[in-house]
Amino acid sequence: MTVLLQSLISGILIGGVYALIGIGLTIIFGVMRVINFAHGDILMVGMYMTYVLFTSFGIDPFVSIVITIPLMFLFGAFLQKLFINRMQGALPQNQILLTIGLGLIMSNTMMLIYTSDYKILSTSYSSESFNLGGISISSPLAISFLITAAITILLYWFLLKTDTGQAIRATAQDREAAQLMGINVRWMSILAFGIGSALAGTAGALISPTYYIFPQIGGIFTLKAFVITVLGGMGSIIGATLGGVIIGIAESVSAVYISSGWKDVVVFVLFLLVLLFKPAGLMGKSRM
Amino acid sequence: MKLTFALIRTSAGTSPVATALGVAILVGLFLFPNFVQSPYALHIMILFFLSTIQGEAWNIIGGYTGQYSVGHAAYFGAGAYTTMVLMQYKQIPPWYGMLAGIGIALVVSLIIGSICFRLRGPYFVLASIAVAEIMRLSAMNLKDLTNGAEGILITEIPVFKIGETVVTDFLSKVPFYYIGLVIALLTILVTWMVQNSKLGYYFQAIREDQDAAHSLGISLSIYKNIALAISAVFTSLSGSFYAIYIGFIDPPTVLALDISVQIVLICIIGGIGTIWGPVIGALVLVPLSEALRSNLIAQMIFKTGLTSEESGLGIFLKEHLAHAHALIYGILVVVVILFMPDGVLGWIKKLTAKKGRG
Repeated sequence: MTVLLQSLISGILIGGVYALIGIGLTIIFGVMRVINFAHGDILMVGMYMTYVLFTSFGIDPFVSIVITIPLMFLFGAFLQKLFINRMQGALPQNQILLTIGLGLIMSNTMMLIYTSDYKILSTSYSSESFNLGGISISSPLAISFLITAAITILLYWFLLKTDTGQAIRATAQDREAAQLMGINVRWMSILAFGIGSALAGTAGALISPTYYIFPQIGGIFTLKAFVITVLGGMGSIIGATLGGVIIGIAESVSAVYISSGWKDVVVFVLFLLVLLFKPAGLMGKSRM
Repeated sequence: MKLTFALIRTSAGTSPVATALGVAILVGLFLFPNFVQSPYALHIMILFFLSTIQGEAWNIIGGYTGQYSVGHAAYFGAGAYTTMVLMQYKQIPPWYGMLAGIGIALVVSLIIGSICFRLRGPYFVLASIAVAEIMRLSAMNLKDLTNGAEGILITEIPVFKIGETVVTDFLSKVPFYYIGLVIALLTILVTWMVQNSKLGYYFQAIREDQDAAHSLGISLSIYKNIALAISAVFTSLSGSFYAIYIGFIDPPTVLALDISVQIVLICIIGGIGTIWGPVIGALVLVPLSEALRSNLIAQMIFKTGLTSEESGLGIFLKEHLAHAHALIYGILVVVVILFMPDGVLGWIKKLTAKKGRG
């Protein structure tokens, strides 16, 4: 029983970070109808940014998100303005290929600068854990979960209560109608891509104390981000939050009860099943 | 018979200069190893054939039928693994292994087709990736069968004999050159046959408008699966060929997402849905990435005197540029998608058409 509870809790903790990655992808998809295949690579850029801030300036990874978030927002906005924007309305396949290309450029540029060696960001608390009623919880995961929860709540507030947030949601619901209502949809697209990138970058920063950092890590997270968003329903933020937690739990439970080598297979099989039997996802109807 | 007629018909349609040029190139390709002994040059040519086979194979499903599979590593890996496992553990010569690989790839393609073709657009892309990833992870985990992450290394290829006469012992690169050339020509021929047949028209109808094609009585599931099967057969052949030629495979080199992406890029860069697009794509990509890999680009930069070999930047370039050969893929695909959506071939055609009018 403790084993199950243990794996459930660690699944929920990592699921929080997954949710952040998924929400980023789903906002971009919702507003721009572009599936961002560079999402994991953007996360990787966030990881390296955190690594540099830690090794060169001694800034704690959880503190450094104050710097990472705005920088990654600008990075995403720049990508949107310079590349993705030109593809608005183009064939979905070509949009996918463009983002794949951008991802390749990011990962290989990082490889040029930092080589493909695995980097480890070890803080004093990297392998620390505390005990909660017989269940041991990893400290960095717990801290990152709290930060994720705070960011998610802030994001919900932003999207639901502020004018800009409502404009983003309106654009996601119906681009043309939003434009007719006087919403600057181009600006909303830039904003959405910026927010999506900032979320991916933050997720990268939050996992950097517990994961190896290397240029090719993006691919795994791009795939996970898809699984999460499709599971929740493309474009649904609540769905992505839920999807992230479900995937986190599925991974940690199958790692314990099957084997850690097969846990990703379980996730992908789950993904195919959702695609086949409920392609709209759990929250498919209500978009954002 | 029908084919010969068709061949004569098209060759009558093209200008005699083009026909002569085509024949000259073909003869040149077959005589190439007689004049060039450099193993490196042969190696580049073999890689070029390999890329051509992969590109043409993907072209059938992606270019003609419009189903962007980003999971072709599944078939490439199926061919490579079947051949290697049979050769290493059952001592079955690779030419039978190739056939077995085709069989396995066909089965895989039918399974993938029956799952993924119910989905459209981006969902199909995602599903194809997921299936290939499941295969990669399985190859990693089924250690008894595939040797897991360590991969399979072959020590020697059995001598190829017909009756008692030894045809080749695979000690030089020349036999690989001819095998690659023949398979590449075969894929081009098959693509050409598909393009000029009823099958090809069905494929293109599905690409242009699935619903319209369906309402005209074209069974989507049957023809998409046929296209995928043809594509899988040749991708699997390229995988077997790669495995025997390199002599070593592991999940990251034959089943990873990178492989799927590279296969798509060959086609996209050359021009999709055309016979010569993948050839052009391979012609652009192979020399470029090889030049980076073997540090030719760094050497060129030193020669132009922009920076010296001893300077900080020079040392940096020399050490790192070779590792970033995939960077060129990224830059090329972004440039092609943004500025030449019809690929290099389409771009050249547009340029010449403009000149003709001017």
